[in-house]
Amino acid sequence: MRSLFDRMFVDPFHRLADQSAQVVPILIMVLVTLVVGGFFAFVFRWLTYRLLHLARFDQLVQRTGFASIIDRTGVFRSPSDLGARFVQALVWLLTVLFALNAADTPASVNLVRRFVDYVPNLLAAGLVLLLGVVVSRMVARSALLAAVNAQWPAARLIAGGVRVLVMTLAVVIALEQLHVGSVPLLVAFAIVFAGIIFALAIAFGLGARDMARQWLEAKVRSSVAEEEVFRHL
Amino acid sequence: MDDLFPTELTAHLEQIGEADIVVGIPSYNNARTIGHVVRAVSVGLAKYFPTRRSVIVNSDGGSKDNTKEVVLDAESGADDLLLVSHPVQASQRISTPYHGLPGKGSAFRTIFAVAKRLNAKACVVVDSDLRSITPGWIELLAQPVLEYEYDYIAPYYHRHKYDGTITNGIIYPMTRTLYGKSVRQPIGGEFGFSGKLAARYLEKDVWDTDVARFGIDIWMTVTAIAEGFRVGQAYLGAKIHDAKDPGADLTSMFRQVVGSFFSLMESYDGVWKNIHSCEPVPMFGFPFEVGVEPLTVNTDRMIHAAQQGVSDLREIYSSFLSPQTLVDLTNFVHRNGQGFHIPDPLWVRMIYEAAVAYRHRLLDRDHLLQSLVPLYLGRTASFVLEVTESTAPQVEERIETLCQVFETEKPYLAQQWDAAGKENLHAQPV
Repeated sequence: MRSLFDRMFVDPFHRLADQSAQVVPILIMVLVTLVVGGFFAFVFRWLTYRLLHLARFDQLVQRTGFASIIDRTGVFRSPSDLGARFVQALVWLLTVLFALNAADTPASVNLVRRFVDYVPNLLAAGLVLLLGVVVSRMVARSALLAAVNAQWPAARLIAGGVRVLVMTLAVVIALEQLHVGSVPLLVAFAIVFAGIIFALAIAFGLGARDMARQWLEAKVRSSVAEEEVFRHL
Repeated sequence: MDDLFPTELTAHLEQIGEADIVVGIPSYNNARTIGHVVRAVSVGLAKYFPTRRSVIVNSDGGSKDNTKEVVLDAESGADDLLLVSHPVQASQRISTPYHGLPGKGSAFRTIFAVAKRLNAKACVVVDSDLRSITPGWIELLAQPVLEYEYDYIAPYYHRHKYDGTITNGIIYPMTRTLYGKSVRQPIGGEFGFSGKLAARYLEKDVWDTDVARFGIDIWMTVTAIAEGFRVGQAYLGAKIHDAKDPGADLTSMFRQVVGSFFSLMESYDGVWKNIHSCEPVPMFGFPFEVGVEPLTVNTDRMIHAAQQGVSDLREIYSSFLSPQTLVDLTNFVHRNGQGFHIPDPLWVRMIYEAAVAYRHRLLDRDHLLQSLVPLYLGRTASFVLEVTESTAPQVEERIETLCQVFETEKPYLAQQWDAAGKENLHAQPV
């Protein structure tokens, strides 16, 4: 008959040893994967930075105007740095997924599978956001130029508003792709936007009737004066 | 080519067969003024070319105000005048809609096609809103082509000192500097040209660009000069036209004309980079002094436009102007009233740097051209303030000085144009 000591201490220890014998190699493999992945992530970051630097990526981005946005974040040293860190994060993500898969537990495998299924949505959302940034910039610039050439005093405000509108639309579509509650955001935006327009209309109509009349009169006068102006060609 | 012609026009042209002179009049809702133009042209053809077969072609953009009826019903006026010789050949008249993008260039394309189809020796185009046209204009524009083997005759007018500011501030100095021919009114609107040149114009694939709109005038002039056609000028007196050009919005007009010019700089960079001097262009006609209509100019509005542009469009300007140009621009533009001034060297640098940015696509081309409008208005205000007290000859001298600055700075343009990479742009001026 086995002693109480065996049942209380030796058997659990054996069970722990058996379980450890199964888990420890996996843990070691996960750790090694993370360390090697971390190393590769660092190498890829360095390589990407060098490549982008050689390809004069910073100058290219400078002309698109994104560089100033990147500067304003205060996190990245340059557009090349941002690109390199993005690649590093991507390698890290792949490493973690690989490590989770290597762990081969039901929970980790399920997590990896769900993440892989989610990747197309992430890509679609990213693409929508990227397009949103590019389109909002183009549209805002067109609005700015049109407003300046029409000599509207609030040209930059108009351009900013246009940009916010287009970006909001892009964010809502991106959230839709991610299956994150976009409806409340859209409703909130619609309420706030409609509220602003309504408030402005009331404020202008009630508080600035004279100004509105003078503005319209000035517009009519200036269009008459315009006809007297010389020919440019 | 025949796809440019409606069936009715094809039949009409077959009936006419051949012609010596084709006079084209583009129009869009010009019923009020086109009758006078058609009468002047008819009398001009009858008086100066009585033995030549001639056709007047009205190329219309879909007018809703009976422009076509006015053209076809206008009296020739020949009976009312004492003609030295009676016309042997009466001029034929055609009024036809044109195909393609709505604009003056598309209207001209149809006129070129008619000239080619009729195997015309000379072709003349005149605007439909002219009030100062006389029969003599037809002689001056067509005769050098018919009698002296010229291929292209540009107009030479007396204009008010404030009139034609895109011409005086950009297009004339640049045409002269780049292509070496002193054509004073390169975008005048009235031209005479040979059938050979009309056929050459038709060969070009530009009819989906701004050339189909207001870019046509500068495109015709530069193509003629750059491709070595024989170019002359005709003194036409004063140019007075209807008060308002339909649809002539400054921003689009500026964009189409300057954009076409920059685009031509790309097409002919092998030509203009090898030209280092400017030669005068022979003048036909007898220059005389004429009175011009007074013009109203609101310089305050233009100064305000320039100041707003420099404040609001700073980010855009910094993407194509050199740092020094931007600093100078900011310093000069923010002075008010009589102190407001954009000096010639700064203006020339801005235009050259914009042309280089257009070539290297430093930003969207449409945005680039639109962003130049406030600068142009600023420069125009500066010019007006400067010549307020000047006489017409003094203003011509002033424009001559500007041309010389354009010529002096041409090596800078050539250097920037050929910069091996975008990063080499805005290097130290030569």
